[in-house]
Amino acid sequence: MSINLLHRHALEDHISGFETDPNPNHLCVIRRPVIFSVLAHEGQETAVAEALWNAEDVAPRFCSPSEWFAVSRTLGAETVAGTLSEIAGASVVDQSDGRVLMEISGPSVRTILAKCVAIDLHPEVFEEGHSASMLCCHAEANVARTGADRFEIIVPRSLAGSVFELLMEMGREHALTRGFAG
Amino acid sequence: MASLITCPHCGTRPKEEFSIRGAAAPKRPSPTAKDEAWHRYVYVRDNPKGRYQEYWHHVAGCRRFLVVERDNLTHEVFGVTDAAELERAGAGE
Ligand SMILES: [Zn+2]
Repeated sequence: MSINLLHRHALEDHISGFETDPNPNHLCVIRRPVIFSVLAHEGQETAVAEALWNAEDVAPRFCSPSEWFAVSRTLGAETVAGTLSEIAGASVVDQSDGRVLMEISGPSVRTILAKCVAIDLHPEVFEEGHSASMLCCHAEANVARTGADRFEIIVPRSLAGSVFELLMEMGREHALTRGFAG
Repeated sequence: MASLITCPHCGTRPKEEFSIRGAAAPKRPSPTAKDEAWHRYVYVRDNPKGRYQEYWHHVAGCRRFLVVERDNLTHEVFGVTDAAELERAGAGE
């Protein structure tokens, strides 16, 4: 379960001052997403992946052949835990308070991300719905394409500040704005 | 140094995402093996030139142990396999 004693986001100090209206290129920090780790028991990998991709209102993110993230922006942790606990042959752990979810979108998003990750993000190679773990701004991140010009980035909470600052720096020439959402 | 490794799970990735864990050919002795066997396994290693197999841990990706077969002279990569799959294939023989 998440520890909700303080509703203070890890990036609170990085996003202070007055908020501007979002530009076409925008970095959005999701305030309180639900992120679970799902690990398949040996031999159950295919069945768990299938069940996870069929689960409603949870977005699956590929980490490794036996490990995924299950992400939701709308459901509470208890609801997601309930849905995931029905998957046979899997262990689930709530990671919501240990990870930070950011969404970067806009017409220049691939040019910005080309300076942050070392993999090919061309839609024919990294298509919509695709996700993978990779180095993003020198931190281990899970990157997913959620739209033609839209990517979701999940990073460990303690590295979120440095990843956020680097993304903003790389997006400066494209007038990238930032803000909280949700 | 081979700078692009095609991970069977993640695709083509830069070498910065990996941690090289040494030669894959030496077989780990049993826990009850004599000290001499363990000493040979841990400290007395060949340093071959040319084609050989090496453990690469995909730290920043799928976090799986891979066996990379490469030439440390020409930097050519011949193949990348998941270490567990290689182990299973070997056990089945
Ligand atoms: Zn990998």
